[in-house]
Amino acid sequence: MRLTKTHASAWKLLALFTVLALVLAACGSEDGTDTAPDPAPATTAAPDDGPDDGDTDGDTDGVGTEVINLAVLSECEGPFGDFHQQDMAGVGAAFAEYAGATITDPNDAVAGFTGASVAGVPVELVGIGCGDDTADKAIEETRRLMEQIGADIMIGPLSGDESIAVANYAKDHPNQTFINGSAGAMDTTLEVQAPNFFRFNSDGAQWNAGMGDVAYNELGWETAAVIMDDYSFAWTSGAGFIAEYCAAGGDVVSRVFPPLGTTDYSSFVDQLPSPDEVDGYFWVVGGAGTLPALKAFEDSKGPLTPDQHMGNLFWEFAAGSLDASLEGAYVGGFGTAADLDIPSVAEHTEIIDRHFDNLEPFGEAAPQAHSGFLVNYYSAAKALIRALEEVGGDISDNQAGLQAALSNLELDGPYGTVTLDENRQAIQDQYVRQLVLGDDGALGLTTVAVIPSVDQTFGGTFSQGEMPSRDVPSCESRDIAWIGNATPVVGGVPQG
Amino acid sequence: MIHTSDGVIGERQRRSLVTPETVLVLVVVLLLLVAPLFASQFFLSFVLTQTLLLGVSAASLIFLAAYGGMISLSQTLMAGFAGFVIGNAVTTGGSKGLNLGLDPWVGVLFGVLFTTILAFVLGAVASRSTGLYFLMITLTFGVIGFFFFGQVTTFSGFGGVNQIRSPAFIGLPGEYPARLFYVALGVSIAVFGLFKYVGRTRFGLALQGIRDDSIRMSSLGYNLWIHRTLAFTLAGFVASLGGTLFVWWNRQIDPATIGIGRILALLIVAVIGGMNRLAGAWVGAFVFVLANNYVRDVPLLNQIGLTENRFNTIIGIIFLLIVLLSPDGLIGIGQRVAGRFTRREQPSP
Amino acid sequence: MTTETIGSRKTTSQRSALQRAVLVTAWGALAVVLAWVLVFANGTPAAPLVSNPANFVTVILNAVTISGLYFVVASGFTLIFGLMRVVNLAHGSLFLLGGYLALEMQKAMVGKQRNIVSSDVGLADWIIPLLVAAMLAGLIGLTMQQVFLRWFQGQEMRETLITIAISVILADLMIAWFGSTAVDVTWPGALNQAITVFGIRYSLTRLFMLGIAILVGIALWAWLQKTRTGMIIRAGVDDTSMVEALGINVQMVFALAFLVGSALAGLGGVMGGSFASLAAGVDGAWLLNSIIVVIVGGMGSLKGALAGSLLLGTITAFAPAYLPSNFTHYSIIFTFGMLAAVLAWRPYGLFGRPE
Repeated sequence: MRLTKTHASAWKLLALFTVLALVLAACGSEDGTDTAPDPAPATTAAPDDGPDDGDTDGDTDGVGTEVINLAVLSECEGPFGDFHQQDMAGVGAAFAEYAGATITDPNDAVAGFTGASVAGVPVELVGIGCGDDTADKAIEETRRLMEQIGADIMIGPLSGDESIAVANYAKDHPNQTFINGSAGAMDTTLEVQAPNFFRFNSDGAQWNAGMGDVAYNELGWETAAVIMDDYSFAWTSGAGFIAEYCAAGGDVVSRVFPPLGTTDYSSFVDQLPSPDEVDGYFWVVGGAGTLPALKAFEDSKGPLTPDQHMGNLFWEFAAGSLDASLEGAYVGGFGTAADLDIPSVAEHTEIIDRHFDNLEPFGEAAPQAHSGFLVNYYSAAKALIRALEEVGGDISDNQAGLQAALSNLELDGPYGTVTLDENRQAIQDQYVRQLVLGDDGALGLTTVAVIPSVDQTFGGTFSQGEMPSRDVPSCESRDIAWIGNATPVVGGVPQG
Repeated sequence: MIHTSDGVIGERQRRSLVTPETVLVLVVVLLLLVAPLFASQFFLSFVLTQTLLLGVSAASLIFLAAYGGMISLSQTLMAGFAGFVIGNAVTTGGSKGLNLGLDPWVGVLFGVLFTTILAFVLGAVASRSTGLYFLMITLTFGVIGFFFFGQVTTFSGFGGVNQIRSPAFIGLPGEYPARLFYVALGVSIAVFGLFKYVGRTRFGLALQGIRDDSIRMSSLGYNLWIHRTLAFTLAGFVASLGGTLFVWWNRQIDPATIGIGRILALLIVAVIGGMNRLAGAWVGAFVFVLANNYVRDVPLLNQIGLTENRFNTIIGIIFLLIVLLSPDGLIGIGQRVAGRFTRREQPSP
Repeated sequence: MTTETIGSRKTTSQRSALQRAVLVTAWGALAVVLAWVLVFANGTPAAPLVSNPANFVTVILNAVTISGLYFVVASGFTLIFGLMRVVNLAHGSLFLLGGYLALEMQKAMVGKQRNIVSSDVGLADWIIPLLVAAMLAGLIGLTMQQVFLRWFQGQEMRETLITIAISVILADLMIAWFGSTAVDVTWPGALNQAITVFGIRYSLTRLFMLGIAILVGIALWAWLQKTRTGMIIRAGVDDTSMVEALGINVQMVFALAFLVGSALAGLGGVMGGSFASLAAGVDGAWLLNSIIVVIVGGMGSLKGALAGSLLLGTITAFAPAYLPSNFTHYSIIFTFGMLAAVLAWRPYGLFGRPE
């Protein structure tokens, strides 16, 4: 009986499936208008140009190539999928500005660019990888880009665990060059140390430079509790605070680790000392957890006050939904300082404005110029262009010349100079920010201090084999060069 | 209970070995044997090898469904578990996990052994339930496995295990794609043969009897629970082979590899191919891998805004259509077409 | 459909030996756990009951209140299954969709797109979105049932696969529509505060959540036990064809059950979106919660949903509090342990019956 039913209703079903197809097409086109009109098929524009020859020379080392094949690994699904356009805009703007590229569509950065050349050698964007924030998809996409499409150089990936996997992949493929997109895991450079993986942005610990100093010396926290997600990026981020705060003289009395995927944070928040037992709390809870963790705190320990609470960059992502009572709380950096009143910042905004109109889903491009994702991808692309210029576009000899040039590059970023250490990890200034309430009642960030030349090791706290984990770093007094050397920023102007 | 439709494996072909199906399978195998001669490296490594290794895991799912009437959503966990054990066993440091630094072959031994044991234990718990209950219990096992490897950083953590070494003769899949391809092909053939063989043994026949009429089998003195548990264990063993191939191919594994998305993806593979036929595992895997790699190149989809960002929407629609229109998957469609034009061969790979 | 009634009888002696063993182990384990929580739990975040009773009370309250939310979501899941034998694996998607719809509505009502604070939100700005979103989720579920599932009544596995396909599509479309950053629904100011009783501070919103759960539970119970529709539904659970033979429009009842079940998912979604947050992946997490609850409690049983919610809630709250501080991340193992123990004892859940 069950089976006959199937056949009897087959035609009904067919009709139904036509309806479904129409409905979905409607949804799809709505989606399409969201992300700008598509004059050319979006992501295929680039790969279409050379997948076939890529099949055959998929694994060549680039000797004697007339064209440099570039790939970008971004994320179009998962928690950072919204930033796909920003990532690609960063790369596109750098190539348009410094390598004569033409942006295919100023309303769709993912459509890519054409006509780029450095030192007379054409650079072709042959593929855009679409990650979903997981390491295994990142590897799959990396292999597609490097092995199928035959890219010589890849910019990416976006997030921590992805970058650890890609750096490991890089180790196995020394004749290709990888420049990190926006990932901030410490392991990527300090632990893996792949000789052909370069990172011109900071890691999660570096981004929090200045926070420990502020907590101890400005807010007067003698003791602090740290609550962080139980995985490597959060440990790294928390470690940056702990190392500096303890070095400055503070004492971390409690570390709490809610696992990722926690539904009810109350049992973890209850593990924190209460506000009368500790001077302050540092929050490293991200993704779907930021808001419930803070709510659980309010529920069981009392209101969130700006002088008792600090967050890392996760608070920047959640800023639109944070409780406005947190106005004035300090937030860890993301390597960016949009409101800094220096020429290079304004110039960067202009560059983005010049080449892009809209970056969906956030709308107009210029206000997004200083998104951390955009800036980090931009810096990676600019570093690549500068290094290629130095070697005259020559990527023969297994790209050895290019890799050497990248290692020694002094990159002029939107906020100052970036250099690399011996593990090819950026050394650069960091920015401490505060939550401010705008006139429209929305929380935003304002830069309040510049921390000069922050390196990855925090004065030797971290090293290969001594990576952030649940109990690393231990809380002890150390010498960290930048403590006490912060330059305050008032109204966007660095003081002194 | 799975509605077993008209095509019941084993029963129909128990007598004759030379059927259109076996001929077709042989032709496909022969074609695959010479594939490295004309396929590009990418196609070999990405499409064919991935199809084969995904097919092995899917075959374990289809075996349980077709022969045992049990739809298990734990097969992704089984494959992944083997991968994690191997990862913990063979890495030499610098990665998450235990970094035991063992020989890759010892790693495989451990991976297969521990997975089979796990399959026995989980099977023992789940096999007393049937039908939808069984499906949900195995789904829960799968998701708990995801959280286990994500949250218990002793073995992995969400970052996963990197730099997993494969035996020396296989080398890097990017450099020598043909080597791993042949290994995967060999394993696939062995698995196909193993399941076909088991289907004809007394155990296999009893299992099919239990699937069709558990009451009668029970009154004939068969212990349903033991049969189901052993079938689940066997399927776990096979899935562990799929997982082994996966870590050799990807050299990396992380909890997302066994997350709910992948759990459902394996089910989708099986359903697309056809839940009632073993070969459906590889057919479904082939279609899934093709869609995964080439959907972004279909111009029409881009025009209506379905870019690669919406891959899951597209695969979801394909899945929905197959479930609505052909519960026997593509193999079922192929059979119907073949039945209508008896002269024609089935259009499968 | 096959039943195993005879089969299970045949192996009764063997089973009961196993069951006895499981029972003894379970009671033993329970005794150990109680002793641990009472006296020995030093070095755990909550400390033993004897030295810190206040913590224990808080943890109990946490367990009961989160159980309430589990119950609301799972009761819809179990209602649909009980009557129609459909495992609605899109239940989590309806949960998330309900939350998003309520959020959009709250934004419109408050007149703010970002950083809505509790003081902006009146009771109506929360309750009306709650009710409307629940209704919309119910209608979407109903549509799903009418358009896709109705054709395949009786083919349980196929219906389940269809709901999986829908959940995959919905999950992806929700990312396209609502973005990938986590957002939340804001509690009304009147509720978003803490009360202190006997020196124990506790959140009013959590108690309120529990209150809604109790209301939902009572309403469902009254509906199923005291009304004619409820009687038909209960009869339908037992024997659909008999009800049909009596000339009752079973299709109508099925549609109603799907509507109510899906609305409960949406209701849970608004509560969950206020208590926690809305983001991609939350759908899967709540689907899993619901599945665990009904597997443990027994599918199709309201009592079972209650029991399963309480057990899962207890583990959610107790494991992180009473495990040694360095081992709190192992709490997932306890969820598995509970599941395995219950299934070994009763393969169809505490209040379930074999299919």
